[in-house]
Amino acid sequence: MKIECSSEKIKNILIGLDRITGKNLSLPVLRCVLCVASGKSLKFRATNLSVGVEIEIPAEVEKDGVTAFKGAVLAQALSSITKDEKIKISLSGDVLNVVTSKSVFSIKTENYEDFPTLPVISGEKITIPVKKLIEGIKSVFFSASISDIKPEISSVYIYPEEENLIFVSTDSFRLAEKKIKMKQNEEFKPTIIPVKNVIEIVRILENESGDTVVTFSKNQISFVAGMTYITSRIIDGVFPDYKQIIPKEKKTEAIILKQDFINILKGLNIFSDKFNQIIFHIHPVKKLFEIFSKNSDVGENKSHLDGALTGDEIEVSFNYKYINDAFPSLNTDSISVSCVEKNKPVILRSVGDQSFMYLIMPMNR
Amino acid sequence: MFDQKQIWEKCLLDVETSVSKANFSTWFKNTHISKYEDGIVCVGVPNEFVKDWLANKYHKLILKTLMTHAEEIRSVDFVISKNDHRNKDEIMEIKKNLINRELPLHDLYINKEDNLNPRYLFDSFIVGPFNELAYAAAQAIVNRPGTNYNPFFVYGASGLGKTHLIQAIGNAIKLKFPEKKVYYTTLERFSNDYVNSVLTNKSQQFKDKYRKYDVLIIDDIQFISTKEGTKDEFFHLFNSFYEQNKQLIFSSDKHPNYISGLEDRVKSRFLAGMSADITEPDLESRIAIIKQKMKDQDCPFPQEIVDYLASSLEGSIRELEGSLNAIICQTKLKNRDLSLNEVKNLVRNSIKPKKNFSIKDIVKCVADYYTIDEASVYEKTRRKEIVKARQMVMYILREDFSVSYPLIGQKLGGKDHTTVIHSFMKIKEDLKINPTLNHELEQIRTLFK
Repeated sequence: MKIECSSEKIKNILIGLDRITGKNLSLPVLRCVLCVASGKSLKFRATNLSVGVEIEIPAEVEKDGVTAFKGAVLAQALSSITKDEKIKISLSGDVLNVVTSKSVFSIKTENYEDFPTLPVISGEKITIPVKKLIEGIKSVFFSASISDIKPEISSVYIYPEEENLIFVSTDSFRLAEKKIKMKQNEEFKPTIIPVKNVIEIVRILENESGDTVVTFSKNQISFVAGMTYITSRIIDGVFPDYKQIIPKEKKTEAIILKQDFINILKGLNIFSDKFNQIIFHIHPVKKLFEIFSKNSDVGENKSHLDGALTGDEIEVSFNYKYINDAFPSLNTDSISVSCVEKNKPVILRSVGDQSFMYLIMPMNR
Repeated sequence: MFDQKQIWEKCLLDVETSVSKANFSTWFKNTHISKYEDGIVCVGVPNEFVKDWLANKYHKLILKTLMTHAEEIRSVDFVISKNDHRNKDEIMEIKKNLINRELPLHDLYINKEDNLNPRYLFDSFIVGPFNELAYAAAQAIVNRPGTNYNPFFVYGASGLGKTHLIQAIGNAIKLKFPEKKVYYTTLERFSNDYVNSVLTNKSQQFKDKYRKYDVLIIDDIQFISTKEGTKDEFFHLFNSFYEQNKQLIFSSDKHPNYISGLEDRVKSRFLAGMSADITEPDLESRIAIIKQKMKDQDCPFPQEIVDYLASSLEGSIRELEGSLNAIICQTKLKNRDLSLNEVKNLVRNSIKPKKNFSIKDIVKCVADYYTIDEASVYEKTRRKEIVKARQMVMYILREDFSVSYPLIGQKLGGKDHTTVIHSFMKIKEDLKINPTLNHELEQIRTLFK
């Protein structure tokens, strides 16, 4: 194998792939990146057997070849080069020689024969814009459950409804739902993708623009965008029927400025207890929106929020962290907080933008 | 048709030797045969990656190994499936059963006013020869609290129903005389209460709190021996109750005489009323207990199991109940009666092995208890402490194990049988007048129980 290629491109790919490699302990070769040189391109492949990525870049290939090496090593080595330049890569024996203008790196390679192939799936295909897919996933994935006990909720659920593609995730304490308008949405099969994989998919696809071709099969989903191929396992399960917990009515509503809310929450967090509890007290008649937190070891904090308040008086408590998580997805200046009663969930929305809904279960004191 | 599971296990064993360990654990773990039809084996794998890899790389190897174990196999296919050997209907069935016959969780509701647990009633108290005296006394107290037997002192080993009995008295009095204030506590709690009252300078409140009750029940009173301050306070409380003819009920694991560190004035007060012991239940009582429990839980066992349990689970009723609960739980879970063998397996750990003691073991126990050298017991010496231990050994051998006098003499350094008779009689007489010796004997006996 003997090739010439841009250092910057290789470095970026390897950094991207590094998140996927390196965690599998049972099969050592999975800590490596597979590198295939053939024709006029160089292919990099990495997988953790749950998600797999293959990225192709153009290169001047003098001699074809295959090898597997630790991607992080080369990525770190290349970060010592400050500007983009052509580097020469050649394989001699089991050592990969990388020649830059100033240095020569010799990297140990591993036996590539054990490196798994990526499943190429055949099934229905649809084309959707990458940007929209990423926006949808990014708006909700933080709500997914971290634990693996219930795989269907440590995932992002994507399904079509009317003219939208809907992204949902929940960890049973809060739930985020994002609707993205899309034309070909109806062909999108309802899919549950593990949240760990979704994060990697977003990370890799972020470098791409334009459209991505999504292919569905029973157990696997794949995305093709530009020269990148990503495939992930999907969860064979049923996402909870979350619609039934969304309150149909609202008895109290507060419309407040997002930035005010963020600032006040910062202060409240200092004094919240170990369960991050903060207490809302909304009294529309007295025009009062009070938030209160108390930690017996630290002290307490009571803050007022200005806003348009309507409905009945209510007092309800939440985990501060859950509220804070939602701000990046609430992308307007003012947000609405609507409650029904003490033990019913509260809903956060952007004012004037119905596409995102965030639901939080109250804490029982 | 062959056993799929077995074939696959054999096949995996062969594969394991021909691929590297890393490869084996990555690709072959969590696989199973999901289907077999007309010579085609469907291997269930966890995901697409594994399916791809096995199909491309190990297809031949798997087929070859499978064929060596079952000749009729012609080809291998791979499917993605969750590794679950039971089929779905079966799981649903189990789930349904679990939901329908959920084990009852009885609320352990305890009344804050009087600390009494309403679960403990006379209705569920099994009376047998082992506890009839205590039961009769308890009934008399319920009829006329404060007058008949005051104080009432129940003692016996743990898990025999003391707490049940005294709480049942409390509950019954409450029912019969709603105006009487009953209070149940353990000595531990009483003592903590007292300490707190001293710490917070509220000792008067403490006195008032307890003096306002008409019936006071204190569990595990034996722990009082180590608590000096509590002892004094208790003494005064006792007197005030006694003067006003208010009922006092105690339970302990020992007779008051054997509670070490108890002053005579307290001891004599404990014994002033009525003291009754609860011993281990006999076979018939155990059968009755098991039947009662079966009735409560609505889960009858066959007679042979009842007999087996009653004969093998001696001693503590609490342990007996524990074993029964395990069996009932299993029965409900499996939704069928357990066989005798399954029951035997379940209670295996609860059955105390019956030990055989040699004379040497007894000598060792006694020597250890008196902290003397084991060998010195056999020697011809008349040192007082050794003589005492030796006589004790002789007494125990004769009394508890019915060893003949000549054999005892022979085993303990060639003594004459008359010597043994003398020792035996001496200890027997001493036991009548010397409570310390009695206590020692009790403690030695527990050592080889």
